[in-house]
Amino acid sequence: MNPPVIAIGELHGVFKWLHELLVSIGLPEPLQNIVMYGALGVTVFSVLSLFALFLVWWERKIAAHIQQRFGPMRVGWHGWYQTVMDALKLLQKEDIRIETRDKIVFFWAPIVCFVAAFLAYVAMPFGRGLIVADLNIGILYIMAVTTFTVISLLMAGWGSNNKYALLGGMRSAAQVVSYEVPMVVSLLAVILYTGSLSMVDIVEAQSGWFNWFIFRVPFGPIAFVTYTIAAIAEANRTPFDIPEAEQELVAGYNIEYSGMKFAMFFLAEFVNMFTVSAIAATVFLGGWNGPWLPSWVWFLGKTLLMVFFLMLVRWTYPRLRVDQLMEFAWKFLVPVTFANLILAAILKHYGLYWE
Amino acid sequence: MRILDHIRNLLKGLGIAGKHLGRHAITIQYPEERMDMPERSRGIVVLLSDKETGELNCTSCELCMRACPTAAIKIVAHRDENKKKVLDEFVVDNGLCCFCGLCEEACNFSALKMATKYEFSTLGKDELIWDVDKLQQVGRDVDYVDTRKKKKPKPDKPAETKTTNDSTAPAKNDPPTDSAKPAAGTQEKQTATPVPEADGKDTTTSPEAVKEPPVVADPDLPADPPEVTKPTVAKNPAPGNEDKEQGGQTDGTS
Amino acid sequence: MAKLRTEEFLVNMGPHHPSTHGVCRLVLTMDGEKVVHIEPVIGYLHRAIEKICENRTYPQCSPMMDRFEYVTAMASDHVYALAVEKLAGLEVPERAEYLRVIMVELNRIASHLIFWGVTAMDVGAYTPFLYGLREREDIIDLFEMTCGQRLTYNYIRIGGVSQDIPDEFVPKCREFMDKLWGKFADYEGLLNENPIWLVRTKGIGVLTAEKAIAFGASGPVLRASGVDYDVRRDDPYSIYDKFNFEIPTQKNGDSYDRFIQRIDEMKASLRIIEQALDNLPEGDIKCKVKPKFKPPAGEVYSRIESARGEMGVYIRSDGSTKPVRVKLRGSSYNHLRLVPEIATDVLIADLVTIFATLDIIMPEVDR
Repeated sequence: MNPPVIAIGELHGVFKWLHELLVSIGLPEPLQNIVMYGALGVTVFSVLSLFALFLVWWERKIAAHIQQRFGPMRVGWHGWYQTVMDALKLLQKEDIRIETRDKIVFFWAPIVCFVAAFLAYVAMPFGRGLIVADLNIGILYIMAVTTFTVISLLMAGWGSNNKYALLGGMRSAAQVVSYEVPMVVSLLAVILYTGSLSMVDIVEAQSGWFNWFIFRVPFGPIAFVTYTIAAIAEANRTPFDIPEAEQELVAGYNIEYSGMKFAMFFLAEFVNMFTVSAIAATVFLGGWNGPWLPSWVWFLGKTLLMVFFLMLVRWTYPRLRVDQLMEFAWKFLVPVTFANLILAAILKHYGLYWE
Repeated sequence: MRILDHIRNLLKGLGIAGKHLGRHAITIQYPEERMDMPERSRGIVVLLSDKETGELNCTSCELCMRACPTAAIKIVAHRDENKKKVLDEFVVDNGLCCFCGLCEEACNFSALKMATKYEFSTLGKDELIWDVDKLQQVGRDVDYVDTRKKKKPKPDKPAETKTTNDSTAPAKNDPPTDSAKPAAGTQEKQTATPVPEADGKDTTTSPEAVKEPPVVADPDLPADPPEVTKPTVAKNPAPGNEDKEQGGQTDGTS
Repeated sequence: MAKLRTEEFLVNMGPHHPSTHGVCRLVLTMDGEKVVHIEPVIGYLHRAIEKICENRTYPQCSPMMDRFEYVTAMASDHVYALAVEKLAGLEVPERAEYLRVIMVELNRIASHLIFWGVTAMDVGAYTPFLYGLREREDIIDLFEMTCGQRLTYNYIRIGGVSQDIPDEFVPKCREFMDKLWGKFADYEGLLNENPIWLVRTKGIGVLTAEKAIAFGASGPVLRASGVDYDVRRDDPYSIYDKFNFEIPTQKNGDSYDRFIQRIDEMKASLRIIEQALDNLPEGDIKCKVKPKFKPPAGEVYSRIESARGEMGVYIRSDGSTKPVRVKLRGSSYNHLRLVPEIATDVLIADLVTIFATLDIIMPEVDR
């Protein structure tokens, strides 16, 4: 196995140093690779956790300023490390476990959720050359892995032995599964034009001015809009946040979780939001393409723009009722996305668009 | 097409929410910044002291105790050898107080005020019961308009008890006793305290001091708050007191 | 095909719940997602106001009436004062009447702003709540400048009002009114035409006019079902016959109409306040009330149009300083009875919407 490919000078330097250190110690080759991949994993994990913490703070600030108030202000300048303090607080809380819970399922649900949220970043291009593994089925892998969260929701609902939680879990599972279809199909409509499922190829196909898939009218914007709507539903956010709607059944599937387990669900939700925004930025907004600035700045900027849009939508719109939600998915989004796919295929077949 | 209308309305909603992002927040960071309370703001009950001498203005007339709807005020007073009322105890239970302001309006002597202060949380309910010292201390820096009539030389004219209970009877500002401080235009020299139990609380214990024989005149409680124009007073004004008919803060002394 | 046998289960939408307005317990029998039977359990906010008033003199009952319905405390004070004045035959000076109308209408706007915000929050949009409260802050600043309190005012007294308005009241009030007129475009643009809002509230919880009348609904709920009845116009009290105001009604009686109805009523109230401010006379603010107030023996019922509907006070007096019986009639009590009527066989999300748009608040139900 080759050592992992990581570009940007410094990081390559650190990993190269680590690799040489391991060689000089005399570790056998498989162990060397394990340690190297481990180090890589830790790096990606910590960077993402920091992003998740930042996103929680940012959401609270944006919500507050839309509502003409300040948000967190006390803990650091404008409350920047509020999330860290909240995480520490959750860490020291009692882990309440009900007697009648299903022990294995209850225990593993938050872990599955947390792990599933991070798995997608194996194939996520953070910048030119900054990808952990350039799988040739990149986007398919990401789509497959983001569905694991459904299992964890069902496990949480079932393991809590609580009818509220079960209702919440079932609704949430139905919602996520229903919105997978329009999400994948709208991505397909643009991936037709790249000829490959690899994330790096998708981004490369959008290099140059105005080559971004969102600008490829007519199928590009339609695919973008339907993807965004499906992404909001995947991330369980308003207007599709029935599973966690406080006004209805007081926090759905994670109602019986406290302390660090709850923190895992909470952080996994924000990592999920970052994931779907990153996919949108990669596939529709051109990934790390852009002049002058380093590529990872562009990637981050576009992702955060999508995240901002998601937050704005959350704090503006009311929520849909669960049957209206399902109706919207199956009766509106699925036909529209399929029609869009067919349109894109026809346009490509007759050569009406550049490659 | 309706779908375009829907999209346009959705975007309009986003725009309305988004334009608030550029505006400054309207909240203030308490406790570093505090709002200026309007002067009429009804905060905690305090006892006011005279601006020069620093003594309590309260004359133990117990009108505030009778006006309070929740029996939050408890007054114990007795008469000393000069038949002058002396305040023994003035206790306000802030846990019972409903901040209605009826006591402040009942008082004729600028003795009681609902100051604009409000930061008095405590850790236990018994700390909410304030005695006269605490009330006076908190009230020391409270600015107030002194509506008491200044002492004027007592005119020697007969004390007349008024017939009251006609429906247009104006309120008379009668302190129950105390020839030392004649109220506006009154000529009654009550030596006895009016005992209007019906106006008091059934739940309060009446103070022991109020056991004098009832007066001839029906005790009348002032109905107007101090800041409003004083009602027309005496039916038989003493010479030189006619100009008091207009009421107000005037201090028409002859 | 055989129908799948499902079991109904009981869910307690308990006193602690983010979207029952106040402490109301609804015992729901649910079949999956659908609500089959609703049983409201009330009494969690009972404070025995009527009994307490039997042991207080008439002026001392005024602060108690604030707490009867604290969201529109001015209206609660007003109805009590009207009842006592009717009993004792007192005549309130004109300036006091105008001030009362201004305060009551401002309070109506404040209450409708809360309704707007809370309903939006119950349906899922969190931001309008803050916007509504932002406007309401200006109104209660006006109240604080006049009478000193922000929620339980004790301003409208027997015989008039307790204090005159300060000089800065009228300019500030006009400034607020101009600001609010400008905000309606924002409010309507945010929700009224939003397709998600329409799909959540149109056709939900339809209350026909016959049913509304049969159950004793009043106020905006009644007018949204198409019945054109307003106590201010049809049984005028105070000086409402001097004002020129329109009574909006809607056609369908669904949740959307009840929502729109209150926004229209806010605009009507603004016009009333404008007329009142323009014609505010000088004069006394309180008529002479005997200090030891003893109304003649008898009984009286007086009612007003409060923000939620018809609010009434019945007083029986035997000529002493304390009333013998005070009975309070709040419209939310009748509207709560409507909930099992129109919210059965709906999904639980719709139950929340219906409960919110009926504008039921528990202090009026439990007293």
